Amino acid sequence: MKRFESLAIEGWSPEYGSPVEMEREEIPAEQVDAGVELPEGEWRPLPSDEAEAVPGRVYFIDGVRRIEARVWMSAAGDPSLGICASYAAGMVRCGRKAEIVAAEVRRGFFGRAGVPDLVTRVGTFAASPVAEDDIQQLINGLQERMGQLEVKVAGGWGATRSRGRSARVGLGSDSNGANPPLHPGALMLMDGPLRGGQRIPGAIGYVKTHRVQYLTGAARAVVARLAARERTPLFLIQAKWTRYSWYLRLTEARGHPWAGIVRCEAWPETELEQVRKIADATAVVLPRFASEPHKDDRAPQNLYPIAGLERELHHRLGDRGVVFRALHQAARAYRATG
Amino acid sequence: MSESIPVGRVIGTDPATPLEFWVAVAEGTFLQLDDVVVVERSLPGRDDPIRIYGMVADLRVRHEGARFDSDVFLIEDGVLPAQVTEAAKVLATRFEPEVFVPPVPGQMVRKAVGKERDEALFFDGMERKVPVGLSRDDEVVYANVEFLDGTRGAHVNISGVSGVATKTSYAVFLLHSLFTSGQLGAGTHNTKALIFNVKGEDLLFLDKSNRNLDPEQAGRYAALDLPAEPFRSVELWAPPRPRDPSAAPRTGSRAHGVTSFFWTLADFCRDELLPFLFADAEDERQQYTIVVHNVTARLRRDATPLDDGGVRIAGTTCRTFGGLIEAIRERVEDAADQPDWAGRSIGGGTINAFVRRLYAARRDAEHLIRGDVPNPVKHRIGMQAQVTVVDIAKLSRRAQRFVVGVVLRKTFQDKEETGSREPLLFVVLDELNKYAPRDGRSPIKEILLDMAERGRSLGVILVGAQQTASEVERRVIANSSIRVAGRLDSAEAGRPEYAFLPTAQRQRATILKPGTMILSQPELPVPLVLEFPFPAWATRPDEAGDADGGEDGGVGGPDPFEGLE
Repeated sequence: MKRFESLAIEGWSPEYGSPVEMEREEIPAEQVDAGVELPEGEWRPLPSDEAEAVPGRVYFIDGVRRIEARVWMSAAGDPSLGICASYAAGMVRCGRKAEIVAAEVRRGFFGRAGVPDLVTRVGTFAASPVAEDDIQQLINGLQERMGQLEVKVAGGWGATRSRGRSARVGLGSDSNGANPPLHPGALMLMDGPLRGGQRIPGAIGYVKTHRVQYLTGAARAVVARLAARERTPLFLIQAKWTRYSWYLRLTEARGHPWAGIVRCEAWPETELEQVRKIADATAVVLPRFASEPHKDDRAPQNLYPIAGLERELHHRLGDRGVVFRALHQAARAYRATG
Repeated sequence: MSESIPVGRVIGTDPATPLEFWVAVAEGTFLQLDDVVVVERSLPGRDDPIRIYGMVADLRVRHEGARFDSDVFLIEDGVLPAQVTEAAKVLATRFEPEVFVPPVPGQMVRKAVGKERDEALFFDGMERKVPVGLSRDDEVVYANVEFLDGTRGAHVNISGVSGVATKTSYAVFLLHSLFTSGQLGAGTHNTKALIFNVKGEDLLFLDKSNRNLDPEQAGRYAALDLPAEPFRSVELWAPPRPRDPSAAPRTGSRAHGVTSFFWTLADFCRDELLPFLFADAEDERQQYTIVVHNVTARLRRDATPLDDGGVRIAGTTCRTFGGLIEAIRERVEDAADQPDWAGRSIGGGTINAFVRRLYAARRDAEHLIRGDVPNPVKHRIGMQAQVTVVDIAKLSRRAQRFVVGVVLRKTFQDKEETGSREPLLFVVLDELNKYAPRDGRSPIKEILLDMAERGRSLGVILVGAQQTASEVERRVIANSSIRVAGRLDSAEAGRPEYAFLPTAQRQRATILKPGTMILSQPELPVPLVLEFPFPAWATRPDEAGDADGGEDGGVGGPDPFEGLE
């Protein structure tokens, strides 16, 4: 019988599962090109202490969602399921100070074609039609809208003024005009993997969990050998959409070999050399934001700014009980028009 | 300028009540303790909104979005987003019109200035208001004269730790304000003040200008619309030097313009002053007090006044206090005279107790009660000037009680005889706990109680002060309309005597600096924190400037106030 040499407690709280799933989904080897930065045979941990440029500012974009109620819509005795949901997206700018520079909240009524706007005391749940009314489709629809809102929040920065600021403490609307453009040399991180449909130019995907096994053999072993602030060489993933990716370790490994490992993604439209610099920069900058286990249930991968942003966004969704009450009232008062 | 500045909104995370609510302070503005604010609320069925006035009693700032204390480091390092929020606790002072409803969360709160501030602090309704200090933002704080002059209330009580609470200084400042603000009306000129100097020599230079008064402090007098000048009409009384046959005044650094005071043996007998030598002369549990009262009555009946204040008692001529008590002793101990002098069937032990106390008083009182100085009328405290200062600092406790008791009774009786409230007499007395202690009875406590209870209608206003209000007779304090606290000892501040201070102000009273007081007056539900300016009169010999408002005209050069009315 095999004897175990050591035991380690997973840092994440059990309700979040583990950042590393044991039943891994492998993806076909031909979809991963591990030789884009270094030939596969020469893979080794890349220290990034000498990164040429450390970005002065880091932007984090994230979204949250909450299903407020399931709604049964009846037409001629034929019931159909819908959901009312609130979702929000926001952006934190970490420079000398960490500030929430944008935050937007939306409420949507997801259901089959013909779903109406639902006007309530707390706001209008805007009609958001989806193709099918099974619950997974509805949630996908919600997820998609949230993604779009994230893009809007990120894109609004630098072009039009965001509405987030005016929601801050103040007596009137603050009219400081258009937001300044992104700081040149700044990093912009999206929480979660990059998605083809919602492309934000220059955004970097930040993945905390590892369900898909992209690397095998010697290349995979390099991940376990990473020290804090080291990254793997870049590899190219050519699945539904093509992107560069790399692993990095945020903090010294505590316990198991994949502790504190995250994966980043970047769009391939930038030149390889540029992506390499960005990857170096992430390995230098991100460990600074890594959380401590006593403060976050998903330490260290759940970064402080993202956790703070999520808390704030959840808060802005409003009190669940109040929203639920408003929905009840609105549904009772609802009369089909036209 | 009734257009006031918006500073924040009523918050909804803490409940708002009619008497107390919290206000979130908007970015780019600030509120400090004691700021006066106003918030409006519309009510159904009323056209005009209700104005709720209040005063900032507490402030708090915190990081919103932080959950752990150590998050502050993350926030400062630019890692965790958070927001600084500031909120002010407001105690309501007034509702106009009087509908007692809480403000609604979200309502805009404005800083009350000008007319609105006056309304918030009830200054608008005060027909005659005397400036009593400056608020933290250098606005004038007033007190209603009607609660000082006896119209609706009277008496001031000041508490605070010795040395830092500046109780006496504040009492004198109040007098200055009353005398010079013109708010006492036509009677101001005849209004008088009697001040007992119980410690040091602080009050012996009231008529000298203060050379340490800098232009900034002088400017604060201007802000209060008061002249920065010493008292113009002051007379100073000091006890005679012990064992000095000519009864020259016992003074320290103040050499000129001081007259010595004492009572003649004739006064002593006629005015029944004997009980004032005994602290417990009203205590029925003490057997010997019956002897005190019998002897007092006998002295009044049997003593024949001689010239220069001596007396003759049944053939014995007394010129000194020692001689008088010797004569008394002989008569209470003599078997024949005893029933007449001491009383019937008084035991020998009781007589001895009386004689023992009488002799104990001799040392303390013999220079104050005498018949050996020519022209004794000159040494009677006459209160001709506006301010009379009686120095008792160098006297023993027994002698202090005697002087205070006798002087107060005399002035109170004189006022009683005139039967009118005007002109007013203000009596400033520190260490009330000595003269009107919570426990026990004494002649002087009876007078102070009388003054506290009837003084209002007789125009005798007691400005009392003490370190610890908890040790002073409750009724004396309860009758004071205006209560003032300087720096308080923290154990003392927790006692029920200070319940007139809201919790935050009680805490604050323990850290008040000299020159800062908290003043409570009947019309305002919230006491006001105020600062009063540095004295314009000298409080030490080295502060005494050239200006000399006194009547001796002995020291110094030309009077800068010459020609002033």
